[in-house]
Amino acid sequence: MAMASAMDLSPPTFFLSGTSSSSSSSSLRRLSSISVSRFRRLSNHKLQLLCQATAGTEPQSGLSVSGSKLAARSGQDRLLKVPISNIRNFSIIAHIDHGKSTLADKLLQVTGTVQNRDMKEQFLDNMDLERERGITIKLQAARMRYVFEDKPYCLNLIDTPGHVDFSYEVSRSLAACEGALLVVDASQGVEAQTLANVYLALENNLEIIPVLNKIDLPGAEPEKVLREIEEVIGLDCSKAIFCSAKEGIGITEILDAIVQRIPAPRDTARNPLRALIFDSYYDPYRGVIVYFRVIDGKVKKGDRIFFMASGKDYFADEVGVLSPNQIQVDELYAGEVGYIAASVRSVADARVGDTITHYSRKAESSLPGYEEATPMVFCGLFPVDADQFPDLRDALEKLQLNDAALKFEPETSSAMGFGFRCGFLGLLHMEIVQERLEREYNLNLITTAPSVVYRVNTVNGDTTLCSNPSRLPDPGQRKSVEEPYVKIELLTPKDYIGALMELAQERRGEFKEMKYIAENRASILYELPLAEMVGDFFDQLKSRTKGYASMEYSVIGYRESDLIKLDILINAEMVEPLSTIVHRDKAYSVGRALTQKLKELIPRQMFKVPIQACIGSKVIASEALSAIRKDVLAKCYGGDISRKKKLLKKQAAGKKRMKAIGRVDVPQEAFMAVLKLEREVL
Amino acid sequence: MLKTTISPIILSFAGKPKASRFIFQAFNKVVLQDTTPSARRNASTNLTTLHQGPPTSAYVHLPFCRKRCHYCDFPILALGTSSSSSNVYEEGKEDDPRITNYVDLLVREIKATRTDFDANPNLETVFFGGGTPSLVPPKLVSLVLETLTLNFGLTPDAEISMEMDPGTFDGQKLKELMDLGVNRVSLGVQAFQDELLKACGRAHGVSQVYEAIEFVKECGVENWSMDLISSLPHQTLDMWEESLRLAIQSKPNHVSVYDLQVEQGTKFGNLYTPGQSPLPSETQSAEFYKTASSMLRGAGYEHYEVSSYSKGDFKCKHNLIYWKNKPFYAFGLGSASYVGGLRFSRPRRLKEYTNYVADLENGAANWCGTGVVDLKDVATDIVMLSFRTSKGLDLKEFGEAFGSEVVKSICKVYEPYVESGHIVCLDDMRREVMSDEVNTLVASDEAKIENHVRYLRLKDPDGFLLSNELISLAFGVVAP
Repeated sequence: MAMASAMDLSPPTFFLSGTSSSSSSSSLRRLSSISVSRFRRLSNHKLQLLCQATAGTEPQSGLSVSGSKLAARSGQDRLLKVPISNIRNFSIIAHIDHGKSTLADKLLQVTGTVQNRDMKEQFLDNMDLERERGITIKLQAARMRYVFEDKPYCLNLIDTPGHVDFSYEVSRSLAACEGALLVVDASQGVEAQTLANVYLALENNLEIIPVLNKIDLPGAEPEKVLREIEEVIGLDCSKAIFCSAKEGIGITEILDAIVQRIPAPRDTARNPLRALIFDSYYDPYRGVIVYFRVIDGKVKKGDRIFFMASGKDYFADEVGVLSPNQIQVDELYAGEVGYIAASVRSVADARVGDTITHYSRKAESSLPGYEEATPMVFCGLFPVDADQFPDLRDALEKLQLNDAALKFEPETSSAMGFGFRCGFLGLLHMEIVQERLEREYNLNLITTAPSVVYRVNTVNGDTTLCSNPSRLPDPGQRKSVEEPYVKIELLTPKDYIGALMELAQERRGEFKEMKYIAENRASILYELPLAEMVGDFFDQLKSRTKGYASMEYSVIGYRESDLIKLDILINAEMVEPLSTIVHRDKAYSVGRALTQKLKELIPRQMFKVPIQACIGSKVIASEALSAIRKDVLAKCYGGDISRKKKLLKKQAAGKKRMKAIGRVDVPQEAFMAVLKLEREVL
Repeated sequence: MLKTTISPIILSFAGKPKASRFIFQAFNKVVLQDTTPSARRNASTNLTTLHQGPPTSAYVHLPFCRKRCHYCDFPILALGTSSSSSNVYEEGKEDDPRITNYVDLLVREIKATRTDFDANPNLETVFFGGGTPSLVPPKLVSLVLETLTLNFGLTPDAEISMEMDPGTFDGQKLKELMDLGVNRVSLGVQAFQDELLKACGRAHGVSQVYEAIEFVKECGVENWSMDLISSLPHQTLDMWEESLRLAIQSKPNHVSVYDLQVEQGTKFGNLYTPGQSPLPSETQSAEFYKTASSMLRGAGYEHYEVSSYSKGDFKCKHNLIYWKNKPFYAFGLGSASYVGGLRFSRPRRLKEYTNYVADLENGAANWCGTGVVDLKDVATDIVMLSFRTSKGLDLKEFGEAFGSEVVKSICKVYEPYVESGHIVCLDDMRREVMSDEVNTLVASDEAKIENHVRYLRLKDPDGFLLSNELISLAFGVVAP
């Protein structure tokens, strides 16, 4: 489980007695439910923890802020069934920091789903990863009860992960809804990520309600931002809602609009069961907990269910709703959102996008949109301490239980020993996995430069996929190499257009289009190799635009490129993990940078050591490490050898930490620094 | 296995110094495995027990200096140059309370050292180091020697060395010292260039060097050594060659050449960075070392230890004790002893040293340290000390003590360096074993390498120059 701390911090008294055995489950975070802003620390909190804290529900206590006692009280009746026509399923689309979490909190508070008193609990904790990286972990779903014109409605908020690495997961969450709130910061405007998600929502025919948040801020320019939304997305903003989630302004209007404008689910409760999985995570006690939206039919506790994509069947041990913590119910029918615990052994058996049906009364066809997870970015992970190899394997296996997109296979390297080649959905996914391995499993890892999957057409007509530079077929056997390309859309204030174009150009970007989406903001489209993005592209984007630009990318397919394998030789020995695939035009500069860095970092040896960068047998950059001429020839005065011995021991220990490349001892740090450099220069 | 291997060692200890508790930690399986019964029977003479016997050597620290040299980080007590004294040779006056008090303390320390060895052999070497021992009035030196003799005994032909600096003694003082038994002088010349001596804060000039050499010769000191320092700031190769030439001309039968070490906290440490001007570059300073080696060897000196050269039979017997990992006493401020396998350093500050001596007398402190003798430490000590000498590491002895496996591992790790000429392999007769043969031996499963390669030594000068690198490689296999 991701965050034991979340559990530890919430006193057990907060747990609702009627809930399932594991309240901890609600605090489980999944990879696919993480959204990131690397540059801003989110001041807002995760709803997750709030789920912990909600628990105890004494209906009468703690109501205050937004006043409506009635509304709050109705919150206590949220388990009561309403007709399908009174169900509204929606999600919130927002750029990071535009106030999604605050708004969601407010909605839960106003509807009485969560008590005001308990809201504060969420401020208590912050996961390390989140604090440092500005990652928020989403709330998977929350069922709320809202009374509108004296009729009770059931509102299900389905949260979406915010990062492009997880766009598939986003699309499945959106597919579970009939509508979405588009939340835009009235002082910031539309961001690229938001845009991408709005398009996904439109593809899913969602009713979109524009909401301008933070209108209380002095810098708010709601009218201008509205124009931007209209121009960029083409949405009618005449009925946009102005709100300040923080101040509680406009919340009721939003709730009203959800009821009035978002369509009710279709009443297909009599059809064979089809439920769309929009999230799942592994709970060590109950197996995989599956979050789903019932599209057709109904499901109840004890049913034998069948996962149509994975072909696995299980008995539903537990059926319930998320409100926002898990509360068991007897049955869920079409339009409703809930969870199932069925002792499913791995999330791979119940993946996002899969369709749940009944084993005995199977639906004719599964719901559309299911996709296998295809890793786009690969890297080698090696334990610094070779003894940790089994631990690394165990940790990866455990993470995989919860992360069907994580792929790995063992890899051996002369320099790094035993490790794994791992595949990830994207860069963020990769970083999160690495961090979790290091933090939660106390592993000390060396990460090779990330690479993409190349398609190699060989002379004998075969096409092979290659994600590991050291496995690239020899030039003699290659006819051509193709690499994945992405389309990126950059949204930026116009002052930074030049800087961004320069960046994209440096990264072999092909300019496609630029348009002004507002007087002062432009959208720039480029196509560039994914390999150029796996390095520090995003960091560069942020630093060159002082954090103002945002971006979005999607893979558009493979293209042939003049790619070569760049090898690094130390004392004429090839250092496999440092091999990279680069574009020919960049080979020289990369080669020079790498050899120079290595020269800096490898301690001098007792002999001269050439350090070379080569394409095949051709040396394109070369440095030489001069031999050590002389040690410190300390005299052991008066027979006092202790200091000298300490020095020698230290020296011996230093050698132990090094990896021998042929006769040359290369310190671990040199590898790490060069790998880091590769990430930057590639 | 473990128990039987260890027990003879422990038994041979019964009734040894009470002060230290000997708890031998198992060296490691690989190492002990190969200890054959015969090797165990020989345990009393083996390298692992060498340090257990009673010491026959004593180091005595006389910490007084006129002032601290810029490179020095030894525990010294600077007396200052008294302006009232016109005669520099009288600076260490007999009644200087700083000296008398210290010698008093030293004598108390020696007396409070009550050994409990079965046998009590006489001391065979005594080394007065410092500081500048020649600043101490002969009368007080005499007191120390008497105390040593009373407490431990002193063989009539014992080597009694004293470090002496030019400008701190004259013929008369030297004569007095010789009459007391001092028979070896280690003269701290350091350089033959006034500007260099001045730059490193020496309290003497070149003229005093010549005077001192005269005194030594006048008094007929047969066994004397000249100390030189290479890689001093502003030193050029020409200067260094000149120093070596002049040293050779003075005909000492021993020369010590120390490569300057810039220590933290010294004046040099604050001013200079090794390898950077005004210090010579690493390449230059390697050149200095090589020059010393070739010039001195050319003049008939044997380069018998990293920084020591001797003619004929005039190796420093006292220092050889160190390189052989044999035990020795040490007395005085900051001095380090090696008794019963334990290395023990006395406090470096006078106040703490004073308390230590008092504690020693009332039984609250221990004179040779306490702790556990770890065989791995013994093995690494032997490796590092042996490699300092031209004799090198005796693989047969080492194998008998620690097992053939380790010997093999050491040879394996050195294979490339035998090939590159940093390490020399020698047979029983000290004939060189060539690298192909060594490779074959290392590759062979049957061959006991030490039967073919008796000694490993560092090549002079290339191997000596990289002694740390090379020794630490062996450390890696001996104590992984």
